[in-house]
Amino acid sequence: MKKIERKELLMMTGGAVVGGLTGYVLSGAPFLMFQDLAEWTQDQYVPLKGEIKLLQSICQSCTTKCEISVRMVADRAVKVETSNAACPLGQASLQLLYHPERIDKPLKRTGNKGKGRFVPVSWESAMADISGKMNALVKNNKKDAIAAINKDINLSSELLEKLITSTGSTNVYYESSLNALTMSALGGVVDYDFNKADYVLSFGAKLFEGWGVPGTMNKVLASWPGSGKKLVQVDTNCSRTTSLADEWVPVKAGTEPVLAMGIANYLIKEKKLISAGEGFAKWAQYVYQYDMATTAKLTGVSEDRIKALAEAFYGARNPMAVAGRGAHGVSSSASEIIAVYALNTLVRSTSVSLKQYTGMGTGKNPAGIDDFIKNGNFELLFINEADPVYKSVLGKDLAAKMEKAFVVAMMPLINDTALYADYVLPSLTFLETLQSDGQTVLKPYASAKHAGDIIIELAGKIDAAKGAFPWTSYLDAVKQAGNTRGVAGFSFKVDKLKEQLSAFKKQKADAEYPLSLIPVEMPLVGDGDGMAFPYVLKNIDSDSFMLGKMKVLMNKATAKKEGVSEGSSIKIISERGKIGSVKVHITDTIAPDVVAVPLGFGHMAYTKYAEKKGVNPKEIMAADIDPVTGAANWWGTRVKIS
Amino acid sequence: MNVISKFINDMKELYKSYPKNIRITLLVLIALVFGFGIFAIQILFWGLGYTDMNNVFTWGNWIIGDLGLVALGGGAFFTGFFLYIFRVEKLEPIINSTVLIGFMCYLFTFVFLLFDLGQPLRCWFGFAYPNWGEHLMPTSMLTEVFFCLSAYFCILCVELVPVALRHKFLDNVPVLHAIGHYMHKLMWIMAAAGTFLSFFHQGSLGGGMWDVLYGKPGWYRPHHQYFFLAIVAATAGGTSFMTLCPYIAGKIMKKEVMPKETYWTLTKISGAMFIFYTLFRTYDVYSMAAKYVPMADRNFADIYGGYYGLWLVVLEFLFLAAPVVLLNLKKFREQEKFMAIGISGGVLAIITSKLEVMLHGFSVPNFPWRPFAAYNPTFQEWIITLGCFATMILIYTVFAKWFRLFPHLDHEGHGEGEAH
Amino acid sequence: MKTSNSKMKRRWGMAIDLDKCNGCGQCSISCAQENNMPIFEDDSDVPKRVSFLDLMKVTNDRDASYPDVKVAFIPKMCQQCEGNDPLNPTPPCVSVCPAVATDVGDDGVVSQIWSRCIGCRYCQTACPYEARAFNWWKPKYESTFKKSLNSDVSIASRGTIVKCTFCSHIWKRERDKAAANGELDINAVTYSPACVTSCPTGAMVFGDLNDPASEISMLSRDKRAFRLVHTIDEKSPEEQKKLMKIKNYPNPKVYYLSSQKWIRDMMRFNSGK
Repeated sequence: MKKIERKELLMMTGGAVVGGLTGYVLSGAPFLMFQDLAEWTQDQYVPLKGEIKLLQSICQSCTTKCEISVRMVADRAVKVETSNAACPLGQASLQLLYHPERIDKPLKRTGNKGKGRFVPVSWESAMADISGKMNALVKNNKKDAIAAINKDINLSSELLEKLITSTGSTNVYYESSLNALTMSALGGVVDYDFNKADYVLSFGAKLFEGWGVPGTMNKVLASWPGSGKKLVQVDTNCSRTTSLADEWVPVKAGTEPVLAMGIANYLIKEKKLISAGEGFAKWAQYVYQYDMATTAKLTGVSEDRIKALAEAFYGARNPMAVAGRGAHGVSSSASEIIAVYALNTLVRSTSVSLKQYTGMGTGKNPAGIDDFIKNGNFELLFINEADPVYKSVLGKDLAAKMEKAFVVAMMPLINDTALYADYVLPSLTFLETLQSDGQTVLKPYASAKHAGDIIIELAGKIDAAKGAFPWTSYLDAVKQAGNTRGVAGFSFKVDKLKEQLSAFKKQKADAEYPLSLIPVEMPLVGDGDGMAFPYVLKNIDSDSFMLGKMKVLMNKATAKKEGVSEGSSIKIISERGKIGSVKVHITDTIAPDVVAVPLGFGHMAYTKYAEKKGVNPKEIMAADIDPVTGAANWWGTRVKIS
Repeated sequence: MNVISKFINDMKELYKSYPKNIRITLLVLIALVFGFGIFAIQILFWGLGYTDMNNVFTWGNWIIGDLGLVALGGGAFFTGFFLYIFRVEKLEPIINSTVLIGFMCYLFTFVFLLFDLGQPLRCWFGFAYPNWGEHLMPTSMLTEVFFCLSAYFCILCVELVPVALRHKFLDNVPVLHAIGHYMHKLMWIMAAAGTFLSFFHQGSLGGGMWDVLYGKPGWYRPHHQYFFLAIVAATAGGTSFMTLCPYIAGKIMKKEVMPKETYWTLTKISGAMFIFYTLFRTYDVYSMAAKYVPMADRNFADIYGGYYGLWLVVLEFLFLAAPVVLLNLKKFREQEKFMAIGISGGVLAIITSKLEVMLHGFSVPNFPWRPFAAYNPTFQEWIITLGCFATMILIYTVFAKWFRLFPHLDHEGHGEGEAH
Repeated sequence: MKTSNSKMKRRWGMAIDLDKCNGCGQCSISCAQENNMPIFEDDSDVPKRVSFLDLMKVTNDRDASYPDVKVAFIPKMCQQCEGNDPLNPTPPCVSVCPAVATDVGDDGVVSQIWSRCIGCRYCQTACPYEARAFNWWKPKYESTFKKSLNSDVSIASRGTIVKCTFCSHIWKRERDKAAANGELDINAVTYSPACVTSCPTGAMVFGDLNDPASEISMLSRDKRAFRLVHTIDEKSPEEQKKLMKIKNYPNPKVYYLSSQKWIRDMMRFNSGK
C-alpha cells in the first residue's frame, strides 16, 4: 500500500468534512432542526379535544331568562351562545365557572379576621356549627342579633328572608340597588313598561348601560331607532345613554330631584294636576318652593327649558318618568325616587305600576343597610353573594362589627366581605343550576351548592324555622317564588323627608369642598363585580386605569381652575377622609366642578385579577343616612382636590 | 494553560499601559458587552414584553439601530465601488477599515434584527417561505431585505477575509498568503456585486419598507422617491462615516493612520452626494406636505406635531449644512478641523433622518381621538443597543491594534488592494 | 340567507349600527372566549394588550365642549381591508409579511397563521387600524381557565401576531357540517362570527357583500354608513378615481352606521372644519 502522505490525508479529511457539511445542509436537515427547535421552545398548551355538544339552558342572571346554548367540548364548556339576546353576564359566566380561585368546599376561618386564611371543612360540620349558633341566639331571646345582607332580589334572597324572619328577626337588608331603595321608599318596585311608553323622561338612569334588567333594556334599545319614541335624559355627565337619547338635559351635580320637583311644580300649578299617594298635599307644599326661577338657579336648566320639558311630558300620549341615577350600583335618595315617581302619578301614566314581591320586603326596612351598619348590632350575620364591606360607604365600620360577630358568607369567590367571615359556603353559577325541567348544563363544581339549597338545608336545622320551609330543594321553592302583586298606594313620607326636601333649596356654596365626586360605572365592570374576570379587564380603557394607576375624570375648565393637567397625580379629600394615588384625565364629557371616579377598583380581596388595583372611593363618599331608605346617599359627595 | 495565562498577563500589561481615559472607556465598553449578554438572554428567553415597544409603537431602538447601521455601513460598498471599479487609488489605504466597518455594521444589523423578531428561531422562514411576487420582484420589502442583506453580508465576509489574513501570524503561512493575494485580484467582482445588491437593500431597509405602507400617512410616498433617497443617504452618510471612524481612531492612537489625500478624496465624494441628498430630501419633504399627506386627508401640520415632529426634520437640515458647505469647498475640506465638523455633521444628519422616520412614523396617531405616541426605551433595550455598539468599537480596536487595518502605518506604500 | 348565485364567491363584510350599540361589551367578551384570548393578571398595559376586538371609546371632546359632548363605543376588529381592487385584494398588511403568515383568502378574509409568523411586526406597522396584536409575553391561562379553551382555535406562541379573522374557524365548522349534510358547494356556506352572534341589540350584522340582496350589502350602501377614518368615501367618484390611480386606499369591509353627525366629524383628522 502506498504510504499516505500527510498532505493527502489533510486534503482527504478536508474534502470529507466539506462534503459532509454540504450534504447535511443541502438535505434540509438543519431546517428541520430549526423547526423542531421552534416547536420545542414554545410548549404552548393545546386545548383538549372531544365530542362537541350544544346544551340548551336558561340564563338565570336576571329576570329576562334568555335562552342560551352552551357549546361543550367533551365535559368542558367553552362558549355560551346567546344569539342576539342576553347581556355580558351570560357570556362572562364561563370565566366565573372555571375561575381558578373559585371556592370548591366550605371554608372555615383560621387566624384573624381580615387576613383571609381559611381551611376547608365538610358541609356537615359547617351546617352543624352555624345552625347551633343560630338556635342558641333564638333560645336566648337574641333573635334581633340575627341579620342578613342580600345582593339582589332573587329566589335565594327570598328564602333567606324567610329563614331570618322565621326566627322573629327583621334585620334583612339588600345592597343599595334601585329596586331595594324603591321598596323602602315606595313600598314596592316600579315596573316600567318601555314598550308602551312613547316619551321617557329619565332622571340620570343609565338605561342602556346596565340599569334595570339589561336583557330587557337591550331589546328596548334594539327597537328604539325609528320607533317615534322620545327619550329625554336628565344627567350631569355625558354617557352613552345621554348620547343615544333624543335630548340631553344637563343638570348640576345632584340636582336631579330638584328638576323633578320643578317639573312637578309646573304640572301642579299650571296644569292643576294632583297625584294619588298619601300626603300629597303636604308634599305639594314643598314643591311650591321649587318655582321656575329657583329650580333654574339650582339645576342650571333654563326656565324655558323646564317649562318645555313639563309641557312635553304632560302632552305625551304615554309619558313615563324613570328614576335611578346610575346603572346597577348607583342610585338615588328616597325623596328623588318619590319625586320622580310622583311625576308619573301626576300625569296618571299607564306605563308604570308599583308591585311588591310577596315573599320579599318582610324585613323592617329592606334598603336600610347603612343605617343597620351604623346603628345596628348583630351577632350572627349572613351574607348572600353580596359585598357590603367593599360596596357600602360604611364598609370599614361593617368590617369592624363583623370582627366581633359570627359571619356566614355564601358566594362563589372570596370577596372583601368574605375576609371577615367565619364560614364561606361556596354557591353555584347558573350553568350548574338545575333548571325546573330537571336539566342542568354542568355538574356542580366540586362541592358547591345552590344558595337556595344551602338555605333550605340550614333551615331544616333551625328550630324556629320548622314549618316555614316545606321544600326539600330550591327547585320546589322556585315555583312559589318571584310572585308579585300590585301595590295599592304609596306614601310621600313628607314627615321623614322634610329636611331633605328643604335642603335642596338651601344650596350652600361650599367653599371648602367646591367639587362634586360622582361615581361612574364602566361597561362590564359595573360597581365592581366584573373585576374578577380577565376578559372584563381587557375592556378597561387607558383613560380609566393604566399600569396600576386609576384615573378620575375632570372637565377642561375645572382642571384649569384647579391647576391640574392631563396625567397629574392628585388626592381627593372629603369630610370623611382622603384618597390618593389617582391621576387626572381631562375630558369635557364631564360637567364642570365635578370629579368623576370609576367604581370597581380598590378591592382588597376578590381574586388576584381584582385585588389591589386602584382605590375604592367609597371610603370618602358621603355617608348621610337617608331617613326613609336607611341607605347612605353617597351618589354625590363634596370634595376638594390637591 | 501557559498560553492562556501568558495571554491574560499580556492583556493586563497592555491595559495598564494605557492612559486613564482609555482604561475607563475600555471598562465601560466591556461592562456594556456583559450587560448585553445578560439582557440578551432575558429578551430571548422571556420575551419582548421587557421592551417599551407595543402594539402602536411596534419597533424602537433596534430598528433605528438597523437603519442607522445599514445606512452608515453603506459607505463600504460605495468606497469599494470607487476603488475597484473606478480605480480611485487614493482610496486604497482606507479600504481595509471600510470593509471591517461594513462587515460589523451588517453583522450587528442581523443581531438587532434577531432581537426584534418575536420568534428568532423561525427567522429562516423568511428564506424558506419568502413573499416574492411576480417576475422575481419581492412583494414584501422585508423579503427583499432578508435576501439582499444576507447576500451582501456574504460578500462582506469574503471581502473581510484578506484583511484578516494580513495578520502577521497568518501571513506567514504560504497557502493563506496565496489565498489572500488572489482574492485581492478578484475583489472587483465582489465590489461590483456588492454595489448592485446594496442599491437594493439600502433602498428597501432605509426607504422602501416605509414608503409602501399606504395606510400610514406619516410614511407613505411613491416608492421610487423614498427608495432612492435612502440609497443617496447611504452613499452620502456612509462615506462620511467611513472617514470619521479612522479619523477618530487616529486621534486616539495619536498616529497618522491615513494619508491626507485619502480623506480628501472620500470627503469630496461624500460632499457631492450630500448636495444631491439635500436637494432630493428638500423635494421629499415638500412633496409629502403638498401632495402625499393631503391624499390621506391629513394636513402636514397635524402630522408633524407630537414628540418627534418637525423639529427633527429641521435639525436634520441644520446638520446637513455642515457637509454641504464644508466638504464641498476645497479650502474647508482640506483643513482638518472643518473636515471633522463636516463629516460629523453629515453622519449626524443621516442618523437624525433615520430617527425621524422611525420615531415620528410610529408616533403619528391612526385615529383622531388618539394622541401622538411616545417611546421610552427600557433599560434592556438601551443596554442591548449600546452593548452592540460597544462590541463594534472593541472589534475595531482589536483589528486596529493587531491586524493591518491601516496599511499606511507601515509606510510601505505597496498597494494592498491593487486590483492587478 | 341564501346566495343568489352560488358560483359567485363570498365577500364577507360586517356592519355595526352605532345607533343601536350601547357599549355593553358582550362582543368583546364573546370574541375573547371564542378565540382563547390570553389571560393576564394585570391587563392594564393597554398598548401591549392582546385582544382582537377593541371597544374604542370615542368622544367629540376635540370639537365640542360640555354640554355639547357625546360619547360612543366603536367596536373595532380587523377591518379586512381589500385595497383599491376587490377582485385583486391588496390589504396594507398582507403584502409586507416576509413569511406569508398572513394572506387574503378567496372570500376576502385576511387570514393569520400564528405558527408561520416570525414576529417581525411589519404587518402591525402597516395596519392603519391598529387591529393586530402581538404576543409580547407568553400567552398563559391560569389553571382551570384552561377548561374553557376553544379547541377550534390554536394557542399562539409568544412573539407572534394574532388578529381577528372574522372567526374563520366557525366558517370551517359550518362548512364541515354542510359537507356532512351533502352540501359540497363552499360558496353556499353561511356563518356568523362570535361577536355578531352575541350582540344583544342586533347592532352588528354580518354577511356577503357580493350578494346585493343581503342585509349587509344594503347597509353598506345606506346613507348612514361610513368607514373608520376612510375619508376618501366622502369625495366625489371622479376625485376618488383620481386618487386611487395614484395610491392604494385600505377599502375596509367593516361598515359603521350612525345618524349622528358628530361621529362622522370625528372620522376626520381636521375637526371637520
